[in-house]
Formats: sequence, C-alpha cells, structure tokens
Amino acid sequence: MNQADIQQEKLIMELQTKISDKIIDKDEDEKSFHYTVVDWSTYVPNPKFPEGIDELRKVTPARIGVWRTGTRPLTKTILKLQLDHAAAVDAVNGEVSDSLLKEFNLFTVETCYENKEVYLKRPDKGRVLTEEAVKMIQEKCVKNPQVQIVVSDGLSASAIEANLRDIYPALLDALEVNGLTQGTPFFVKGGRVACMDHIGEILQPEVLVLLIGERPGLVSANSMSAYMCYRPRKGTIESERTVISNIHSGGTLPVEAGAYIGTILRKMIDQKASGLHLEL
Amino acid sequence: MSRVEGQSIISVGIDIGTSTTKFIVSHLKYAKVSSHFSLPRYEIVERKIVYESPMYLTPLKEKRDEIDLKTLTGWLEEQYKKAGVNVSEVKSGAVIITGETATKKNAESILHYLAEKSGDFVVAIAGASLEALLAGKGSGAFLRSKEVKGTVANIDIGGGTANVVLFRRGKVLGTITYHVGGRLIELDQNGEITFISPSIEPWLHSKNYRLEVKKKICFKEMQQIVQEMCKDMLNSLTGQKLIRLDDSLIHSTSFQVIPPIDEVMISGGIGQLLEKEAPKTIYDTAVYGDIGPLLAHEVVKEIENCSLKLIKATQTSRATVIGAGMQSAEISGATIHVAPSRLPIRNLPIMMIELDNEQIKNRDYVYEQIKHAMIEWKQYFQGEQEIPFAIHIRGISYCSYAVLKEVAKILFSLYEKYFPRNPVLVVICENDIAKALGQLLVLQSNNKVDIISIDQVVVEQGDYIDIGETINQSMVPVVIKTLAFMKN
Repeated sequence: MNQADIQQEKLIMELQTKISDKIIDKDEDEKSFHYTVVDWSTYVPNPKFPEGIDELRKVTPARIGVWRTGTRPLTKTILKLQLDHAAAVDAVNGEVSDSLLKEFNLFTVETCYENKEVYLKRPDKGRVLTEEAVKMIQEKCVKNPQVQIVVSDGLSASAIEANLRDIYPALLDALEVNGLTQGTPFFVKGGRVACMDHIGEILQPEVLVLLIGERPGLVSANSMSAYMCYRPRKGTIESERTVISNIHSGGTLPVEAGAYIGTILRKMIDQKASGLHLEL
Repeated sequence: MSRVEGQSIISVGIDIGTSTTKFIVSHLKYAKVSSHFSLPRYEIVERKIVYESPMYLTPLKEKRDEIDLKTLTGWLEEQYKKAGVNVSEVKSGAVIITGETATKKNAESILHYLAEKSGDFVVAIAGASLEALLAGKGSGAFLRSKEVKGTVANIDIGGGTANVVLFRRGKVLGTITYHVGGRLIELDQNGEITFISPSIEPWLHSKNYRLEVKKKICFKEMQQIVQEMCKDMLNSLTGQKLIRLDDSLIHSTSFQVIPPIDEVMISGGIGQLLEKEAPKTIYDTAVYGDIGPLLAHEVVKEIENCSLKLIKATQTSRATVIGAGMQSAEISGATIHVAPSRLPIRNLPIMMIELDNEQIKNRDYVYEQIKHAMIEWKQYFQGEQEIPFAIHIRGISYCSYAVLKEVAKILFSLYEKYFPRNPVLVVICENDIAKALGQLLVLQSNNKVDIISIDQVVVEQGDYIDIGETINQSMVPVVIKTLAFMKN
C-alpha cells in the first residue's frame, strides 16, 4: 500500500466511524424533537405589567401574549400552530387501535358511513348502524340494561386513544358506587352523536352514555365528549341529551368526568329525565 | 338547573373587639358559573348586607379580665330578633374575637360557645393574622388590590391592635400586627390617665415614657407619644426599621421582610375617626376617654410623611365584622364526595402531601411520602386523642385513573394502619379530582370509614379548615383559617 492508499483507507475509516456515530446520534436527534409545553412557550420581553399578562394567559389556552416579530408572529408560534393543525387533521383521519378496544373487551360495529370522506360530507350516515351491526348487537348484547355504554371515534380517534384508559375505569367504578349495572359495551366506528337513538331502539336501555371523539380544534385534538340520554329513541331531540364536553388532560380531567358521569346517570334514572329536564 | 341559580345562604358575622362588639347578617348568593357542557362549578356571586347592628360596648366583668358572657349573649339574642333571623336558618359565618379582647381569660371558651350557638356552620376565628385578613377583605382593600398594579396594605386599627395585611393582585402576601390602638391608653378630659394597657407598657418603657395611672398628662406630651408610636409602626412597615422578634411594638408577624407598599387603607374604629377634625387640646382628645382621635390623625400624618398613597376605605369600623360575615366562607368544587352525616366538621388541621405529576407515578415514593407524613403527624399529636384531620394532596395537575387508584390504595391502607380509630377520612385536593379519588377511597374502605373528598380549595400547612353541610347536594362551604405566625 502506498502512501496515498493508506491516506484513503484512513479517510474511509474516519467516514465510517462518523456515519456510525451519526446513527447513534439519530436517536438523540429524535429525542430532541420531542418538545414540551415549555419549549414552545414564548413571552413578551419586558412587559410593563408582567403580573397582568400572566393573569390573562392563565385564563385562556388561546395564543395570547406570545410576542411578535415586526407585525407577524414568531416562527415558533407559527410552527406550533401548524403542528396543532396537523394534529387536528390526523385526529379526524386516524383510527382507534384494535389493541385498545381489546383491552376493554369492546367489539366493533360500523355505521353506514362507508369511508372518512362520506363520513365528513354526510353526517346523517353516521347516525344509522349497518344491518350487520344491528344483528351483531342483538346477538351479543344484554337487552334492556340499566346503563348502556358505547364508545365511538366520532371526529377524533386520538381522543379515544388518549382518554379511554382513564375515563372508562373511572366510569365503571362510578357505576358501582352509585349502585348501577351496565349491559354489554361496544365500539361504534364512524359514529355521530345521534347514533345513540338507533342503539336505543335496538337495546332499550334506561340510560345510554356515548363516549365520543370531539371535532378537534387548535387547543386540543384529543378532546372527548360524554353524551348521556334517558331512554334514547328515534325522534330524541337534542335538548334531551346531557353532555360533558372538553374532556382531555388540559380540560375537564377524564378521571373526574368518569366519576361524575355516574352521578348524572343516577340522577337521570331517579328523575326519569335527561337534558334540559334533568335537575343536576 | 336554572332553579338553583341565584340562591342565597344566610351568613352572620360577630366581631367582639377591644372596645366594641358588632354583628351583621348577610346574604351570600351563589350561582353556577360553568357552562352547560362542563363539570359544574359554583361561586359566590353576590354578598349583600341585610342587617347591621349598632356598635355595642363589649361587656367586660369588673376586673376587665373576663368577657361578660351573659350580657353578651343577651344582646346577641336581641340582635337576631331585630334582624328577623332564626339561628337555624344561618348556614355560614364566623365569630371573631379581636384585639385585646382575645387575651381575656374566657375568650376561647366564649368563641367556641358562640360559634356553636350562632348557626349551623358558624366558625370560630381567632388570631391577629386572620383578623388582619378579614379586616382587609371587609375594608375593600382586597378588592382594590385586584384593580391596581401595586401592593395594597390595609391597616385595621382598633382599640388594642393595628392589624396589617398586604394584598397584591388579589393574593395575600402576609400580615403583621402592632401594639397600636386607641384604647391602649385611656384618659379623662382633664388629661388624667385612667388606664394603661399592659401590652403597651414594654414599648413605653423602651422609649423612656413614664406614664402612670391617675397622673395628668399635657396635650403636647400625649401627642409626642402617639406620634412616636405611629412613626415606629410606619418605619417598620416601610422597611426602614428591620423586623425583630423582640420589637416591643410588634405583636405578631408572618413577614420577615415587608415588601414595598404602594397604597394604604385604614379601617377599624380609628379609620372612622379620620373623618372628624383633628384634636387640638387634651379635652378634644379625650372625647371617648382614650387616645383614639389623636392616633387617627397622627397615623395619617406619618403615612403622608412616608409618601404612601392613602386610599379611603369603603368600610371602616365594621370592616372586620363584614369580613367575618361575608368573606370568610368559600365554596368547594361541585364534583366531590362527602358523607353527609359527618358534616359540618370543624377545625381540622391540615396534613400536607406534595406530589408532582411524575412523583405520583412512582408507587414506592408515594408510599414513603404518605407514610412519613403520617408517622410525623402521630408523633406531633402524641398523647392527644386521635383528632380528625384533613389530608391535602397538592402538586398534581394530571394523573391517570390507574395511578390515582394506587394512591387511593396506599392512602387508605396507611390511614387504617396509623389511625385505626378515626371513623372519617378527609381529603382535600387542589385540582378537580376529588370525586374520582373519593369514589376510589369509598371502594377501598368498604364502608368501614366515611370518606369526605373535596377539591378546588387552597390550603397551607398549619391552616385549619371547617367544612359545612352540602349545598344543593353538590358542594360544601368551607372556611380556611390560616395561622402563620412567627411570634405570638
């Protein structure tokens, strides 16, 4: 090997070490892409009334007091907005994982939504279950239960992924504490809120609670609602439903919502009413 | 739901002060402040006075070292009648013994006696720190601090003490109390001294003022003493004189250093005297048989000398009783768990357990923390009966149900182990998780122990809490009594 070859060999070896270093580095890079709330926050430099601006920021999750560059928002603010928007789009297009549904023993039925595109354009289709679904529910579920629990992806699959593990067991304990019994719970794919009415017709529960993903927004893509109704049926009007919305880690805490749903269901059964007729 | 909105509870305030006793009846209106789509939340939205008693000279027994309970309760009964209120209708409120009266022999027993007799959930409040706080809330200083940028001090000067509280943006920074009051020295209109309070003697002595009962004093000398008293207090408040525990003018303090003050309000009997003309002779001074009128004008002069901004208080002599009657009660979160048969429950000391979002996931850590707190508690209250207390869990903003379940298991098993004779377990959470934690504890306890779990209440180590009966089947009124002292 002549001098030049040795030189080249050395260079190649150096490169190789660099590349393998790079591979290890890659993990580090990925870690550093995981931003927390603190990483995203920006502040008004030297505000005249710091306590005032802090107080305002504390009462809203909206992007206020985030500072600016010229007349435009900071790059960080724009990127965060885009990220939140992307998360919202993902939430709509996502699917609830089978493993999660298995964990809670939920079988899956579908509405007549066909696919995501139709689902978004035709809300009415998400309110009716397929013939196959009706058959499956009739086969598998206890009829006339006191409480029927239904879970649905709605407009945010990630809401179910993020909150079901907390709200569901809290709800089951709340049923026990309130002396209530439930039927056979299941999952509805492509559901809209009013699918409660169709299920109500099939199973005739005393009360039905639907845990459904909410339309994602820029504050949270993981927000869930709990809709509750006393004897839901065809022709139920919206004012007959009781709802707790904004359930996520930064809003109504899922554990507390689950516990409180038990109290609401108890009152619905005692008062034989829901929605505006229910006194809470 | 709309049926409940705007419902009121009747609340009373009783302030037994060094020179006068006052009584008020108020209506506290609570309403739902949350939307139809979220968990319910209620707040007190309006506080209205419906009856104010006249000023009543606090009845003392002959030796002046005991309160005359019989005369006092007789007067109170008369006042309840005049106000048209039955004791059984009263659902909230506070009795406070203030200033020098608190040092009377039977003060404590009277306080608890009156609290029990005045309504379902009337709490006993004592201590200069709470007195300062309630006066500051009653005078309007607390509200003012929410509207302005700076720090607002309220100086409530009564017969025996000057109770100072500092507010900033609706938060309490702390309190300090001085031996400055209108009735510390009493005299007749000829200038003959008739009484010198033992609590001001050390200060008089340290300043080389030799006053004696039955001796005459001239206006100039009296004025100089009062001026010096005010100057000493203001120097301390503005930080020109450091706070020392052996300072003979300081009664008690929660501050080691007092933060800069921007605005000052003066309430109490002295606050009311500000509106009168300044006395120019000893005859003018002693119109009430004490140094009150002189003190009022000297303190204003000193405040102006320190270039502090003096703001007129909305309430003066009745500030404390209004604070006690209208501002002492708060409302808990509306998703809670309680055992109704156990309420009201009074005077619970707070055991503090701090856990953040990460620590709470570590089972062993949680176990050790709770165990440590309970063992310490047992040692502290050794010998005493196992008095009920409240466990405050603080620092968690979010936690999963699985984690909360572990916490409930640990909490209950340790409680059962260390406090087997306590029939009730009281837990206070900072965040809205009390119902979830409450139901987990109920499932753990298997009805052996009654569970009370409430939230959205801020308490500190050393505080005491009173919890009232449920309102509207969903929330409870609470009164938090802070007793943070360095010296008393």
